[in-house]
Amino acid sequence: MPPDFSSLVHWILFLPLGAALFIALFLRRAGTLAAWLSTGVAFAIAALALRLLTVTSADTLWHVELAKLGGISLGFGYLIDANARLMLFVVSFVAAWIHLFSVGYMQDDDARGRFFGGLSIFMFSILGIVVADNLLMTFVFWELVGFSSYMLIAHYFDKDEAAEASKKAFIVNRLGDLGFILGIAFCLAHHGTLNFAELGALKPVAGWPWLLGALLMCGFIGKSAQFPLHVWLTDAMAGPTPVSALIHAATMVAAGVYFMARISFLMTDEVLGFIAISGAGMAALAGLCALAQTDIKKSLAYSTLAHLGIMGCAIGLHRPDLAVLHMAMHAFFKATLFLGAGSVIHGCHHEQDMLKMGGLARKMPVTAATFIAATLSNCAVPFLAGWYSKDAIIEAAHHHNLYLFALLALAALATCLYSARMVRLVFFGPANSAAAEHAHESPWTMTTPLVVLGLVFSVAAGIAAPALIPASALARVAAPLHEMAFHATAPATLVGGLALILGAFAFRYYGRAAGVDSLRADLPRVYGLLEFRWMDTFYGWVVASVQRRVAEFIAFLDLLLINGVAVRWLGAGIPAVIGYLAGRTLHRGQTRLYALSLVAGTLLLAWYFLAR
Amino acid sequence: MPDGLFTFFAALTLGAALLLVLSRNAVTSAMGMILALVGIAADFFLLDAYFLGVLQVLVYAGAVMVLFLFIIMLLDTDDATGAYPWKTAALGLATFFLLAAGVIWLFHWSGAVSPTPAGATPPELSANPAEFTTAAKSFGRLLYTKYLLPLEIAGFLLLVALVGVVSLSKDAPEGQA
Amino acid sequence: MESTTLVHHLLLAGLLFAVGLTGVLLRRNLLVVTMCLELMLAASTLAMVAFSRFNHKMDGAIFVFFVITVAAAEVAVGLALIVALYRRRGTIQSDALNTLRD
Repeated sequence: MPPDFSSLVHWILFLPLGAALFIALFLRRAGTLAAWLSTGVAFAIAALALRLLTVTSADTLWHVELAKLGGISLGFGYLIDANARLMLFVVSFVAAWIHLFSVGYMQDDDARGRFFGGLSIFMFSILGIVVADNLLMTFVFWELVGFSSYMLIAHYFDKDEAAEASKKAFIVNRLGDLGFILGIAFCLAHHGTLNFAELGALKPVAGWPWLLGALLMCGFIGKSAQFPLHVWLTDAMAGPTPVSALIHAATMVAAGVYFMARISFLMTDEVLGFIAISGAGMAALAGLCALAQTDIKKSLAYSTLAHLGIMGCAIGLHRPDLAVLHMAMHAFFKATLFLGAGSVIHGCHHEQDMLKMGGLARKMPVTAATFIAATLSNCAVPFLAGWYSKDAIIEAAHHHNLYLFALLALAALATCLYSARMVRLVFFGPANSAAAEHAHESPWTMTTPLVVLGLVFSVAAGIAAPALIPASALARVAAPLHEMAFHATAPATLVGGLALILGAFAFRYYGRAAGVDSLRADLPRVYGLLEFRWMDTFYGWVVASVQRRVAEFIAFLDLLLINGVAVRWLGAGIPAVIGYLAGRTLHRGQTRLYALSLVAGTLLLAWYFLAR
Repeated sequence: MPDGLFTFFAALTLGAALLLVLSRNAVTSAMGMILALVGIAADFFLLDAYFLGVLQVLVYAGAVMVLFLFIIMLLDTDDATGAYPWKTAALGLATFFLLAAGVIWLFHWSGAVSPTPAGATPPELSANPAEFTTAAKSFGRLLYTKYLLPLEIAGFLLLVALVGVVSLSKDAPEGQA
Repeated sequence: MESTTLVHHLLLAGLLFAVGLTGVLLRRNLLVVTMCLELMLAASTLAMVAFSRFNHKMDGAIFVFFVITVAAAEVAVGLALIVALYRRRGTIQSDALNTLRD
């Protein structure tokens, strides 16, 4: 009998909920106090998660049944396996530093209580997804995550852009979640259980074995912003930058990947094939699109889309372990990139246009150094964090399918291109605006997280992986490490090398003229093609033309059948007659009549039940 | 046939209840109510539920009815004026006779309830906490074991009622009194 | 000595209940109506004690304890409501309280 760590998980899960409640009830006006409370709780969770990661390598199972409806058991429980421990640690660790960063970043915000309360609620929700041991509990926390994401994107709700973006994220996610909940219903109908462990032990069902996986995949597509539901992620950048770092880069979008890894045994080959192709395609496309963004956060958002595509592809390639590993590595360096962007934006007085920056390396040395380190990791420079996971996935794709490999290679090339462009435009060359001219380094609360996440984890995570990543998680990390060290074959290395050379070229290319995007100047058509938002336009067309027509038709039917026949004739006619008669006899404002009817009704009920 | 004491108290209780219902004066009604409650308490004694009988007298006849009398005195309402709504009176009486007939039929003529005597006098205390006993101790034993949660809820309910009464009886705001 | 059976107690309880209900229906003074409600509650407790005694089970008697508690709370709140009503409307005759009629 292994020791029981469920109480530790209780603490990890419910501390942030407690903090959020406390903030919501008592600290709404006390922004500073709320910020430090939330941050302290985040660090406490990180410490507990680290303890859980180091202290045990055994799975923790804990379950309590909440309700039994017929043969269906609905419960609340934990299933902490190796993936979950790693994810718990990554989420809580990254989140803790982002909390600290937010303390500095949101210093002048009036609604800090709401912001940090939202962060804590988000922590509760995401940790709930990580530890959940059944589909329904996952779904509940899944929706909570959606809610807190909505709340945090809309932090600047007086800005139209943010309000629209939060609405969009919420609605697009609902589309995916519709599939998710249908999947849960389907799972209950066919298997009679929602528990992961019990589902894993089952044999595949006859009938449509792929349908369950496909339905559950819908949730993943929505939450992880996979094609075709990826449109919300770039808009979500309207939220505060720490939120973009925490939710829309490091943790929430990765939760979809984690969830898919957790239920990978439910996926059939058809579903996995679809995920692989759409993931790889999106990785390549999003990488290229990042070239045509001037907003630093949107560019990073496309980069996140590309990496999510790569993770999706890894799941599609039957390698959920690689997907989870890449998710962890990506969380470190992408959080750093976003925080770096946040620091830049903060330093430049809320200027987000990269073309108006430049020359910030000298003015913000710490930010620049960490940003560049994370960028190199993003580009999968050998022996940095991103290299281990990303090149392993490319390698796996090469073994599996040449088309996927080509798409991922294109994505890797694009990654280097946009990364070089970003670094060149932001940190080098002359300052292109007054804001960049007067930029200043951020306070310690913002630079410390950058240094920790950026230098230590983006760069050193790979090199010092055995030392930094504790023993229990090592098994998960070690296999890809070995793969890279001993089985790295020519294609992945070739792609990596080529990408880096291209990146160097791009660095020079974008240095040519200041304040202008070189690609836009040279090839405006290509730039326009990449900038154009194809899926948004398509959805706009669908909503305006198709859905509107259908809705109008249904509205007409509604008017005719429901309003006309059912409501006016039956619905209004019969109650009108009865109501008239009843109003004359019953509703006379006499208490005793009401009492009498009450007693009569009770006696009738009693008679019915006793005489039955 | 029931024994004499039961017949006496049953008649007393019913008579007092009728006094409560039929008297036109609120104070007389309250007196009838007290008498009826005492009669019910006496019936509790006849059923060997001494503790409940005492409780009934203390809480109802003692506390609750005093409260009623205070309120009657405080409000000093005049009796209803105007013609009595005879239709409702007829309705009420019809309800009473229907209900009474139903009660007699259900409990007496239908044979649903077996008319066996209660049997031996219950023990004062029993090893089995679920068994009917007469001592107040046995109430405490059950209240603090099997019925602990309802007991706490009841206590909380009293607190809520207390707060509710305080907030209800605060002076009405200006212009609304 | 003749013996009293469950039937007798139930009959008494049922008749008390019927009298109480009649009072609720007949009387117009809300104070008296509340008293009649209390009488109905007391009648039901009588039935419960009788069942408890004749089945040799303690639970019914315990339940009576709770009924008395709830009834006390109900009386307190009910009387406070009546007083508030009187303050606001100047009457506690149920006939006069028909504002919601229209």
